[in-house]
Amino acid sequence: MNKETQSKVKIIEKTFESIKRDNKGVTNVSLLSVAEELSMPYEDLTSFFLTLEDIYLNEQKRSNRKIEAYLESGLSNSKNANDAKNLFENTIRLFVNELPEYADVVWAATPFLPKCLKEKIRMKAYLKKTFKKIIKKGWPGKIESVLDRQTDLCILSFYGLYEYCARAKKKDRKAILEDFINMLNLHLQDRLFF
Amino acid sequence: MVNSPTKLKDKAVKRAVNNLRKDKRVEAINLGVIANELEVSLEELQIYYSSGEDIFLKAQKRDWDSLHSYWDKQIKKSKTPGDYKDAFDVFFERFVETLSDDADLMLEMSCYLPACIKYRERNRKKVRKKFRSLIKKGWPGKDDKVIARQTELIIIIFYGFVDRVVQLSKPERLKLLRDFRNMINLQLQDRRFF
Repeated sequence: MNKETQSKVKIIEKTFESIKRDNKGVTNVSLLSVAEELSMPYEDLTSFFLTLEDIYLNEQKRSNRKIEAYLESGLSNSKNANDAKNLFENTIRLFVNELPEYADVVWAATPFLPKCLKEKIRMKAYLKKTFKKIIKKGWPGKIESVLDRQTDLCILSFYGLYEYCARAKKKDRKAILEDFINMLNLHLQDRLFF
Repeated sequence: MVNSPTKLKDKAVKRAVNNLRKDKRVEAINLGVIANELEVSLEELQIYYSSGEDIFLKAQKRDWDSLHSYWDKQIKKSKTPGDYKDAFDVFFERFVETLSDDADLMLEMSCYLPACIKYRERNRKKVRKKFRSLIKKGWPGKDDKVIARQTELIIIIFYGFVDRVVQLSKPERLKLLRDFRNMINLQLQDRRFF
């Protein structure tokens, strides 16, 4: 990690730590107070982030980029149904395992920060499109309308898992993960949808 | 002028939601502005609400209290596993039926405002407890560990469902509900959990 990235990571972690520690809302933390807590000149901090919203957005995009890169490379490497199924399961595992301790803070503020909301909507649309491709490949033989409905249910379940995991401790996140994956597998095999 | 307390409370909620819809800043919602818009004195409004946050909290509580009361009546009448399954289903039906047009904003508030988050967490536990009891009685023969795991999964996807369903139009909500209920039923019949 280069020096610039290290500084950015420090700023992000300190900001969310401060918000969590004092149970502050998005508007009650200032970049100035974060700079003070980090003993960093305010000008140095603003060379990376101009607003608190930028910090949230950076964190959100960092996490999304990782998932997108994983999905894109996985899709181009998956040759058969089994590969696609594994990609689907491992994406969920990656997402949960990579969630930081402060994921709850990011999750809760997203609807109120316009740039973050836009990013959330973009990511949801991306996941929908990509999950649909994976489901089509991994569970072949479904017609378009079934694919759409099942993808919709997978996406809403995935965001339910996100909410739960964002608020849960790491060990509780792990405990539910495999049950959740089993549940989606069962759903995707459901004959009622055919 | 608003003359009855119920009307005043309803209008205050409506104003708060409208203001939030126009300008996504929760901080901008204050009782003084709402009182002015409703042409009542601040003191009169303060009889019912202590802050903007309090408006959302009380509206959230009112909706859930009404849903729980309806649900409890169904549970009380149940005697057989079939009845308990129906009571389980009734909850989802009633939840979707009674969702307001502003449910999306109410949900955002419940995930963001500290008092609303606390209430949401308490309510989540209450719903979980009822789900658990209904699953035990409606799908008998499961051991406690299985019931706990399945209840947690149902809660996770229910909250994902909530996040999705509030964004939809009324007819689309019903379509999604049908698929969602199928998914839950399938999950609760899953033999791998036994």
